[in-house]
Amino acid sequence: MNANNDSIISGVLIDETTLTIVELANACSVEYTWVVQHVEDGQLERTDGAVNAAISRADAAEWRFASAALIRARRLANIERTFDANAEVAALVVDLLEEVAILKQQRFAQRRQ
Amino acid sequence: MEFRDYYQILGVSKTADADEIKKAFRKLARKYHPDVSKEPDAAARMTELNEANTVLSDPEKRAAYDRLAAGGQGHRAGQDFRPPPDWNAGNEYSGDGMSADEAARFSDFFSSMFGGAAGGPGGNAGGRAGGRRTRGAGEQQMRGEDHHAKVVIDLADAYTGATRAINLRAARLDDSGHVVTDERTLNVNIPKGLKEGQHIRLAGQGSAGFGGGPSGDLFLEISFAADPRYRIDGRDVTAIMPLAPWEAALGATIEMPTPSGNVQVKVPPDSQAGRKLRLKGRGIPGETPGDLYLEISVVLPPADTEAARAVYETMAREMPFNPRVAANTAKGA
Repeated sequence: MNANNDSIISGVLIDETTLTIVELANACSVEYTWVVQHVEDGQLERTDGAVNAAISRADAAEWRFASAALIRARRLANIERTFDANAEVAALVVDLLEEVAILKQQRFAQRRQ
Repeated sequence: MEFRDYYQILGVSKTADADEIKKAFRKLARKYHPDVSKEPDAAARMTELNEANTVLSDPEKRAAYDRLAAGGQGHRAGQDFRPPPDWNAGNEYSGDGMSADEAARFSDFFSSMFGGAAGGPGGNAGGRAGGRRTRGAGEQQMRGEDHHAKVVIDLADAYTGATRAINLRAARLDDSGHVVTDERTLNVNIPKGLKEGQHIRLAGQGSAGFGGGPSGDLFLEISFAADPRYRIDGRDVTAIMPLAPWEAALGATIEMPTPSGNVQVKVPPDSQAGRKLRLKGRGIPGETPGDLYLEISVVLPPADTEAARAVYETMAREMPFNPRVAANTAKGA
């Protein structure tokens, strides 16, 4: 493999284009069914314009995911793997981590004032 | 390469049973989990723990490691170490073997022990997405694994775009099936209009595929360097705008530095601290650009000269103003 590549490469901005369920599963090193299950259980959100519509496995190939879902899915998978945690506990932990991140941002903003 | 004492890393004895190892790993994983740990070396320690747990929680790998560690005069952590030739011959690992990429994230010691032998490129019993193939399915095409990296940019970069050099470490198997680590630098175009937490996907920049399969992708997660001058919410940006008391009271046209350069701002008279001026469309660019909010902060000049003190004394005499009463009146209104 080349040691250095001087040319400048450009990528695709996720959110302008979104990830399919297979792409999300690949990016998180999880099975396709893992993503389906977590969407059905409300632990991962889609951004395909049908978030409030009834979730149907048959439509899973049409589901789309944004950057926030990728971050959340990787965290969920990591917590589940590291602690052998069930999906609900992992989701609770990730919810709390997200809440902590928001509070830290608010505290940073307050300190600055 | 240095010998790794996996028992020492997990803080367990060499006779620890599977349950003790699991408990020790979880306890330390909680302490060093990068999302919560305050330890400066948390990420490195977590990788070390994962490595030790990967070996010691797998009976076959643990047995092989124990045999190796017991050889010669015994080995101590950090001691220079060379595995004997063909030490791994006859070892057969099953189940969740490591791919070359996973092995590469661990130490050289681990990679040389288990990276090539534990199922080769892929090596997993299939099913998992992301660059795996079933053992024995040598000719099967398989997509390479996706890689992830974080990129920290300044807020100004989100306004203008930038180029960043990203250093990456990835592994591949050489012709003899051993793990070799390649380091490379990618110069990546960071487009303008990025938000915190957004990803850039670089197609084909992950692990190489197997059997002619496509390469994985590289995902770059964007985060902004902490900047005390700005608060960012999506594409909206808030900056503190310090004003002298007379500018806030009388109104003024001032020059204000912003992430996209200096702008002339007209401050209306009677501008109280905390009030925000919105500069529409001057937040982070995008299809719907964010707004820039300038939050007024009134800064008092110090009364450190006779003249300054005289001005304050004149104000106190001429302006019957009690901010506590004003505040209460405003609340009651």
